[in-house]
Amino acid sequence: MKVKLTTKILDANDRIAEENKRMFKDAGVYVINLMSSPGAGKTSLLEKTISAIKDKVKVGVIEGDITGTNDAERIERLGVPVVQINTEGACHLDANMIAEAARELPLKDLDVLFIENVGNLVCPAEFKVGEDMKVMILSITEGDDKPLKYPLMFQESSVLLINKIDLKDLLDVNIEKIKKDAQFLNPKIKIFEISCKTGQGINEWTSWLLTNIS
Amino acid sequence: MHEASIAYELLNIAVNECHKNGYKSIDSIKVVVGRATGVMTDALLFAFNVLKKDTIAKNAKLIIEELPVRGVCKDCGKEFESNENYIIFECPNCGSFSVNLLSGKELNITEMEVS
Ligand SMILES: [Zn+2]
Repeated sequence: MKVKLTTKILDANDRIAEENKRMFKDAGVYVINLMSSPGAGKTSLLEKTISAIKDKVKVGVIEGDITGTNDAERIERLGVPVVQINTEGACHLDANMIAEAARELPLKDLDVLFIENVGNLVCPAEFKVGEDMKVMILSITEGDDKPLKYPLMFQESSVLLINKIDLKDLLDVNIEKIKKDAQFLNPKIKIFEISCKTGQGINEWTSWLLTNIS
Repeated sequence: MHEASIAYELLNIAVNECHKNGYKSIDSIKVVVGRATGVMTDALLFAFNVLKKDTIAKNAKLIIEELPVRGVCKDCGKEFESNENYIIFECPNCGSFSVNLLSGKELNITEMEVS
């Protein structure tokens, strides 16, 4: 027999994401979903950002990775609570993984929770996890065609961090094009040019962050 | 790619629906996939066929209906439609990126054949 249905396939994920959102709100923690391609510099950015703000706000981290614990160890050295999620091959974090990882964190003692998503410009943008803000990093070594190739992530993110700006004289890359295309896709997107290597732009980004999460 | 997660979710929904209503097996599942979801239908089919093996859907056929991206431009007001996969949401009439999607983000189960 035929059975008619009208079920959204990602409903379960979206429902759990809503529950996460409520849980984070009740605990008074602001949640940032950090996304990028592999190698764009998410972990370095987190190290720089946490070092700059940890005296002012209490920070926690959920590290998502396909395998391994290297990134979590780097964050742990900064003295902030961190939980590692190994997705065992999955290309993104989903709401359920976040719900489980969050149980291992002292949420009530935190002001900000960073979720470092799996390196991938497509899939993480499709799955809500209950975050307050999406932030993406694009390194200039990836080229200037990325916004138009992967529009969704640019459209969903509140902030674009253009990283590895110290290499701009060595590369044939048009940073103005990246900015222009990103703003075309998302006129409200806030853009910072940064270098996690030299520290350029980190101050502007962390000051903006502190005023926008409190 | 996230097609595996989506196949897993859709099997979960279908199997749970059967358990609730006492059906023993699933012969087919119909889904609609909007072209703006970024879902590759070949990858979805592949993942579905791998994941269904140990379930009551092991003999089920997945029928995928793709929906075009439809939008309306906020600048020139024209409606447009595109059958390209994962397109840039650009108005073909005036080139504006300021568009409202009317369809293309669907990812739904619409029908099952069960016994
Ligand atoms: Zn137009």
